[in-house]
Amino acid sequence: MKNFAITIFIVLIVVTLGLYLVSFQVRETECCLVTRFGKPIRQMTGPRERYALPYFKWPFPIEQIHKFDSRMRVFTPEVEETRTAGGEPIIVNTYVVWRISEPLKFFNSVKTVKNAEDELLRSRIRNTQNNVIGRHYFSEFVNSDPAKIKFEDIQRDMLTELKAAVADAQYGIEIETVGIKQLKVSEEVSKEVFERMRAERNRRVEAITAQGEAEKIKIETQANSISDELIAAAEARAKVIRGKGDAQAAKYYKMLEADPALAAFLRDLEALQKMLEKRTTFVVPTDKEPFSLLKGMPNLGPVEQNKP
Amino acid sequence: MAEQNNKDNTEFQSNMPQESVPDELGAAGKSLSEALRISFIILKVIMVILVVAFLASGFKTVGPEEQALVLRFGKIQGVGEDRLLGPGLHWIFPYPIDEIVKIPVETKVSLLIDSFWYHESAKERLSGQSRIRPTDPLKPLVDGYCLTRGEQRISPALISETQGDNINSTPVTGGSRQTVSSDSEGSDYNIVHSKWQLIYQIDNPEQFYINVLIPDVRPGETYINVVKGGVTPLLKSMFEDAVVSVMVNYTIDEAISSRDRIPRDVRISLQDKLGEISSGVKVVSVQLTQSVCPPQVKAAFEASTLASQNSAKAITDARTYAYNTISKAAGPVAEELFAALHDEAVSEETKEYLWSQVAGTAQEKLSGARVYATKVEKDAEANANYLISLLPEYRQRPELVIQKIYLDTIEQILANADEKFFIQTTEAAKDKEIRIQLNADPLIKSKKIREQTTEENR
Repeated sequence: MKNFAITIFIVLIVVTLGLYLVSFQVRETECCLVTRFGKPIRQMTGPRERYALPYFKWPFPIEQIHKFDSRMRVFTPEVEETRTAGGEPIIVNTYVVWRISEPLKFFNSVKTVKNAEDELLRSRIRNTQNNVIGRHYFSEFVNSDPAKIKFEDIQRDMLTELKAAVADAQYGIEIETVGIKQLKVSEEVSKEVFERMRAERNRRVEAITAQGEAEKIKIETQANSISDELIAAAEARAKVIRGKGDAQAAKYYKMLEADPALAAFLRDLEALQKMLEKRTTFVVPTDKEPFSLLKGMPNLGPVEQNKP
Repeated sequence: MAEQNNKDNTEFQSNMPQESVPDELGAAGKSLSEALRISFIILKVIMVILVVAFLASGFKTVGPEEQALVLRFGKIQGVGEDRLLGPGLHWIFPYPIDEIVKIPVETKVSLLIDSFWYHESAKERLSGQSRIRPTDPLKPLVDGYCLTRGEQRISPALISETQGDNINSTPVTGGSRQTVSSDSEGSDYNIVHSKWQLIYQIDNPEQFYINVLIPDVRPGETYINVVKGGVTPLLKSMFEDAVVSVMVNYTIDEAISSRDRIPRDVRISLQDKLGEISSGVKVVSVQLTQSVCPPQVKAAFEASTLASQNSAKAITDARTYAYNTISKAAGPVAEELFAALHDEAVSEETKEYLWSQVAGTAQEKLSGARVYATKVEKDAEANANYLISLLPEYRQRPELVIQKIYLDTIEQILANADEKFFIQTTEAAKDKEIRIQLNADPLIKSKKIREQTTEENR
């Protein structure tokens, strides 16, 4: 009984160790290449599709496995200055998301990630970038008219072209996406841009000021004209009122017809009084009545009893 | 365990007589069998411990913010919802059969992006004062920025389109002067600096695990930091791509002022891009934390803002002036009255009512007229009455009446006169001139008199 248990235990250990030598697993995130005496014979791009079982191989040194991480990698080549279709320099910084898709080709051509990036991706990206950007005008990157901006199209072109180029190279690499993460201009051009921005602002300052001034004048003029018009209308009404007053007054003029000469005299006196009401300097010769009294005593006798 | 040992001991003791008694072994043999017996026991114990430890290693905990995938020989286990293990304790087959991959799905990670900001030294950043002069260019390798489109102007854009078409059809070799100018036509872009904050979350653990490269966790590192570190380069690149793509569609004024539309567009664009590569990452929020015009042109931008403010102020002032002027002209009903005067539909009654409500200058004119009307009527009445009442006396003694009225008037005039000069007319002075220096206005002759007269005026 006791020996039996021990035997089973030992057998288990031996079997496990044996399985270790002849089996291997490939995770969902990996791909794998099996070489027999150094010669690649099989590749797996993931775990078994249908059953949750490990893969089997002949033990080392007959067969050997090489695993590669097949998850997405980001590669950012150096910033490059390139030229648009119109010859304008433009500085783009691209990034590429790629993955190892076919371990066999990858193993045969580059073997390591670093090699892949240095040998294949860098030059292919540069070519693609120059080709695609060289086909487009700067005005298709950024334009006053949003309808003419083809930035997304340019990125899509780059993706298609780079995908094709990498597939042609048979390196076992797949491009997931490519994009422009910085879009810049050269130092010299940046100065020009600043100049233009400044000019644009100055122009705007003038426009705003002029517009404000115009608006201001418009409002004020309008107000003045409304005011003038209202006052004029009021004056017109006032004239009517005055006219009515004058008409009322005219009724009494008939009464003056009793003695027109006296009426005229009274009116003249009143006018004189009104005219000389204020700010008057009066110069009179003393030979006029009643100032003749200043000259001397009048020649009066008690003939009449009349007080002035 | 101790129980088992006891059981083994009793078993051993029961066997003892059968094995040792018939053979009659010596003391040496006895001690050897004793040693064997003990080593068997130890071996058994070790075996049991190993088996238990092996099975126990299948217990895994999933943290509250995590979800986990189980890999059996590398393949994700389960179907549908079963593929994901929620938080709690789980038992899986121990390594190397099963493996657990924990994904922090609930954790929202914030990522600050300042790749679109101009280069600042640490000192400048701390002091908040940059030393950028208006003539400094932007260095493409150190300064970050976005290009924004220029203001849309209709006519130049149309011209550039026709020109651009012509040039497209002819092969361009060197980039002659003309080509360059037409290339930049309609592309009077601007430069803007911005800082962003991105918050993301893993929403599809399976896609995330399969597609996104996360380095292995080394001792001393926390898992979440490794995840962050692994995903950051990818997210950062794609985020910058999204920002660049979105910004070219906006003008600089929109970029500086619009804090809603641009981040929203960036979020949508980034989510699309992340979806295209099945990254399993969800963009929770995108914020444009800062966005400014380059320091080199700040003065010009400030001048423009100032001009806007001044202009707005001028317009406000003008409105105030307008209100005051109109109110002064006709009071609070001025506008209404003005509208009524220009509107045929308004009834006369309404107009009359409005006229009765007017104030200000118009009111002055109207009341002046009313005063005049009353006065002129009363005066006429008074004059007429005076004449009528005077008439009987005048008819009797015309000379005296005239003289009285005349002298009364002269007296009053002289009493009112400010200065009086009486000139003695003698025979001797008949041919001589008298010159008197007069002031144009007698009131300014002396202060005293002026004071007197003003008092009188009151």
